[in-house]
Amino acid sequence: MTQTDAHPGFLEKHHFILRRLHSLTGIMPIGLFLISHLLTNASIVWGRFDSREAAYAHAGAAVYQKEVNFIHNLPFLLLIEVFGLWLPILFHSALGVVYAMSGKTNNSRYAYQDNWRYTLQRISGYVGVLFIFYHLATLRWGWTFLIPGGTKWSAEFAGSTMALALQGSKEGFTFFGLLVSLFYLVGVSLLVFHFANGLWTSAITWGLTISEKAQKRWGVACLGVGASLMAMAWASILGFALLDHAKAEETERALLGQSQAEVQPHTPSDLAQSAK
Amino acid sequence: MLSALLGNSTPDHHAKELALREANRRHAKPGRGVLVKVLRCDGPGKATRWETFKVTTEKGMNVISALQQIGGNPVTTDGKATTPVVWDSGCLEEVCGACTMVINGKVRQSCSCLLDDYAPSEGDTITLEPMSKFPVIRDLWVDRSRLFHNIKRVKAWVPIDGTYNLGPGPREHPNAQETRYKLSECMSCGCCLEACPQFNLEADASKWDSSFIGAHAISQARLFNMHGTGKELAMERLEALMGPGGVSDCGNAQNCVKVCPKHIPLTESIAAMGRAVTLAGLTKFFRS
Repeated sequence: MTQTDAHPGFLEKHHFILRRLHSLTGIMPIGLFLISHLLTNASIVWGRFDSREAAYAHAGAAVYQKEVNFIHNLPFLLLIEVFGLWLPILFHSALGVVYAMSGKTNNSRYAYQDNWRYTLQRISGYVGVLFIFYHLATLRWGWTFLIPGGTKWSAEFAGSTMALALQGSKEGFTFFGLLVSLFYLVGVSLLVFHFANGLWTSAITWGLTISEKAQKRWGVACLGVGASLMAMAWASILGFALLDHAKAEETERALLGQSQAEVQPHTPSDLAQSAK
Repeated sequence: MLSALLGNSTPDHHAKELALREANRRHAKPGRGVLVKVLRCDGPGKATRWETFKVTTEKGMNVISALQQIGGNPVTTDGKATTPVVWDSGCLEEVCGACTMVINGKVRQSCSCLLDDYAPSEGDTITLEPMSKFPVIRDLWVDRSRLFHNIKRVKAWVPIDGTYNLGPGPREHPNAQETRYKLSECMSCGCCLEACPQFNLEADASKWDSSFIGAHAISQARLFNMHGTGKELAMERLEALMGPGGVSDCGNAQNCVKVCPKHIPLTESIAAMGRAVTLAGLTKFFRS
């Protein structure tokens, strides 16, 4: 007899609630975060059309820098990150891998579009986990040995250091930089698909869409969400991969100068300096 | 373009395949020689091998009659004498599900599979394999016990056995009756399980209760939860579907509905039972 009979394991004992939490975390907070994250990153492109920032060398870099400043000024940011993002992503990924391992794809025999999405949902999950780990390790945790060119991402020079992380050098693409940019394009595209398709299947899981017609209708809505997010994702990656590093850095220096001029001295060293 | 992106909905999919078969049937002539390629196995756990036989077609010939012709003279195209091919069958009119097998890579009933549809020209090959999600007993004959075991997991019956007369059951509304009629057409053939990427061969029967239950059982749970007297066991069925291997183990590949020979709306049943367990889960969490 297996342990499933007398002493069910943790996964089996709480099967239903874990499955539903897996579905829920994919949409909230992870999906909601994905939307806002892509919207923020895409500001490197849509920010260029913001006439209020036209005075800066690169209006997109200015808007993006202000977005980053807003996020970095949020109270309890680390708590938000750990409990609102990292732990939910870890939970969703770990369970997702366990669940994905229980299936066996059969696309060669049943080459239906729905079945291809089933398989792609699992592939995008696996690649997505690797991508998110690389993304966090390099840009958030500062594992610079994995960054082409080795420049650490900086919250004060958000756009220019992001461009370096994708391009590899101030002079433009290195081979490593090109590889990383491609990995971003593939990883982010797969994650956007994963979210849009997950949004569609979750409506079946929870029983919101029942009839085939309703499932199809919601499918159109999810396709719309996916296409919009994909546009934002590609705009972000192209925006940073083709960003003029010098102009972005000039913009960020100007912004940093402004904020330092506005800041009141509050640390002992600042006080000591102002006393001189 | 949008519909192309969204893929083949069930009716479109069936229409396309049916049109192809009809076109084949129109140009097929009786008396032609076609090859029947069979994946053979002498017994549980034994090695498999391919054998090809030549069959002379007759008007309206199906896979079963082709296998009977082979059985009359079991010699392969290489001239090797062999044993007659073993298969399971019952009704021979696509209502019992016993003769289900994998034909040209897709699961279906062999009795309703016409050679004219699948091998319309001289020398065409039709390939027969046993279902892969159940243990093979011999050749094309498989043991579908797990399928019936899973129907028992959701208690897909009406509890009326007892020592005294319970009287007439409640009246049924025609709307519910219409939905249930379609669901009641399930013949437990196993097509939905064979095509499902979440339902896989499990030789260890002690693991059946925690492995994915399959679309057929989920749909049967819906059928009996809608029945006036069958409702008595509704909570027990939902609890089975909430446990390991229940409805949430569905991966939404939606192959089941496309291969169902009775065109039962299996994915609607899965979503309907998804809703039922969502509500049951919320009730359980907040009330009991």
